Amino acid sequence: MAPMKSLGSIRRDFAPWSDRDAKPYILFDGVTKQFGEFKAVDDLTLTIYEGEFFALLGASGCGKSTLLRMLAGFEAPSRGNIVIDGEDLAGTPPYRRPVNMMFQSYALFPHMSVEKNVAFGLRQERMPRDQIAERVDQVLRLVKLENYASRRPDQLSGGQRQRVALARSLAKRPKVLLLDEPLGALDKKLREETQFELADLQHQLGTTFIMVTHDQEEAMTMADRIAVMDQGKIVQVATPEEIYEAPNSRFVADFVGNVNVLEAKVLRAEGGRMSLEAAAGFTIETVNAVDASPGQTVFYALRPEKLRISGEPLTGSNVVAGEVWDIAYFGHVTSFRIKLDSGEIMKVAMINATRVSPLQLTWHDRAWLQFDDDAGLVLTR
Amino acid sequence: MAEDVGTRNAAAGSGDPEVLSSRRTRMKFRGRAVIIPPYVWLLAFFLLPFLIVFKISLSEVVVAMPPYRPTFGDPSEWWGALRQLTIDNYLWIASDELYINSYVESLWIAGISTVITLLIAYPLAYGMARAPAGLRPTLLMLVILPFWTSFLIRVYAWIGILKPEGLLNQLLIAIGLIDEPLLIINTHWAIFIGITYSYLPFMTLPIYASLDRMDHSLIEAAADLGCPPLKAFWTITLPLSLPGVVAGCFLVFIPAVGEFVIPDLLGGSRTLMIGKTVWLEFFTNRDWPVASAVAVVLVAILVLPIVIFQRYQARAGG
Repeated sequence: MAPMKSLGSIRRDFAPWSDRDAKPYILFDGVTKQFGEFKAVDDLTLTIYEGEFFALLGASGCGKSTLLRMLAGFEAPSRGNIVIDGEDLAGTPPYRRPVNMMFQSYALFPHMSVEKNVAFGLRQERMPRDQIAERVDQVLRLVKLENYASRRPDQLSGGQRQRVALARSLAKRPKVLLLDEPLGALDKKLREETQFELADLQHQLGTTFIMVTHDQEEAMTMADRIAVMDQGKIVQVATPEEIYEAPNSRFVADFVGNVNVLEAKVLRAEGGRMSLEAAAGFTIETVNAVDASPGQTVFYALRPEKLRISGEPLTGSNVVAGEVWDIAYFGHVTSFRIKLDSGEIMKVAMINATRVSPLQLTWHDRAWLQFDDDAGLVLTR
Repeated sequence: MAEDVGTRNAAAGSGDPEVLSSRRTRMKFRGRAVIIPPYVWLLAFFLLPFLIVFKISLSEVVVAMPPYRPTFGDPSEWWGALRQLTIDNYLWIASDELYINSYVESLWIAGISTVITLLIAYPLAYGMARAPAGLRPTLLMLVILPFWTSFLIRVYAWIGILKPEGLLNQLLIAIGLIDEPLLIINTHWAIFIGITYSYLPFMTLPIYASLDRMDHSLIEAAADLGCPPLKAFWTITLPLSLPGVVAGCFLVFIPAVGEFVIPDLLGGSRTLMIGKTVWLEFFTNRDWPVASAVAVVLVAILVLPIVIFQRYQARAGG
């Protein structure tokens, strides 16, 4: 369906979702969760594969946390089944499920040392003492906290607490690790470092991770696949690249990253190409894979970084002119807002590949924009 | 003034150590100044009266006004008066079984009452803390509500409930649980009931506060790690509510030891708690020095648990 050449996961050798014979590891089958009249999760079906790093992405209140809590057993689905590794979890209490969760608040036991916190789950299994000590040592080493075993949680920094929470949820070697906004409480710099560490850790362990996040960057950097959720339903499940470059709807295109969405009418559609008449008053020539007939209203989604900007008039197809309305300099990127002659605003991002930009545009200058015929995407919803 | 602020800022900016240290001293002084009022309060209303009582306890009883000797009137006679002070009253208390027995009785009655109060207050506080958030203020109000009536009247009301022909016995006979009225009034049981009833809020509120403060995700985390609910209560909830339990126990135990009204009204003549002994010495025997000595010894006995309590709090806070 995607018009792109090839969009895989970051781990190119790992793509069980495109393998017809792959056995689903976790299955949500028609799951609904109702709180009174409110449907937090609405007839949702989803399969997740063994060893996958899966992200549930959505704004707050979209049902992603409820989905995670149903998997952990803190909420029971109103309808539908949840299956892990062939076992239906209906009626299984949280303390007998083969999953462990890392809580958003970390939920570290304040009256226990780091070591006791990490050993807590193992003690419940009545694992022999020497084995517990060995395992605790091993997971603390994994999160680089082996020298903090005797500290109490209130004697640790936020980042260290996050690692203890991770170590504790990994100690029992669960079939599935659930992460509820795992990096939400960390500051920006630490969050970026931890993203890579967490992804590395998951690849190293091979445990199935399911993460809930509202931060698209977090989902994009770590997950093999992302499910974008809205109002209790899944809008799209795909790899990060696909979500970004081939969103299936205006909602996904807009939720993940920046995008210009242009309303347009189909003029011609044939042989994988399409001509559109934008409501902003110019013609768009594009490659196309969606089914739309002439006269139909569609949406053309165009990422800001896929537009070229110039201070001189441009020739060729897909050119539109306007006035520089706003300039924001971010360092690595300069972001322009161009007011088209029709009055619409187009966002353009220019990578600052050289220290001194050859382009000297300033407020209220005339600017010309151009994009390739495969830069954007035709969306019908 | 503006210039002064300017130079001071400039000095702070340049990190002039002298200015910084003088400012730090000033801040320190201001920080200390805040705690002066409570200390003055304690000095005026606790330490001074206590010293007066302590002095009386070292005096000798006489038939006079005031009924003890020596008195510190004329400063020129202070040295002579000081030499008349004696520890005879303390020796007297130590030699008479009556006093020792009433201390012991007070301590064990207060102890048992505290345990009963705890056993009732904990589930109550737990239920309140787990109740829907909208219902909690109402429940809290209900716990505090009895305070709106006079303490004395409420204890009096218990006589009507507990006496042989009282409400409790009528009820138990009516539902056929017993044939003859239970003798509760004028026994230790009546005192336990009275103390438990009167001091229940003092136990419930600190426990409720510590349970309410607890993050519910801790219980979820315990369950997630394979811990069944009952075990999670013993390993997570109870240890984390311990500061509230300890606070509640001291808030009940300490006043219960010195309780006078409840044993006097409900306990009958056979119970002799220390509060009543002090009352008897003071008003019936008019022996202020011995009464004072009994009170001073009581304070000494209670200071010990208070110190332990403070240590515990400091450790929990640190």
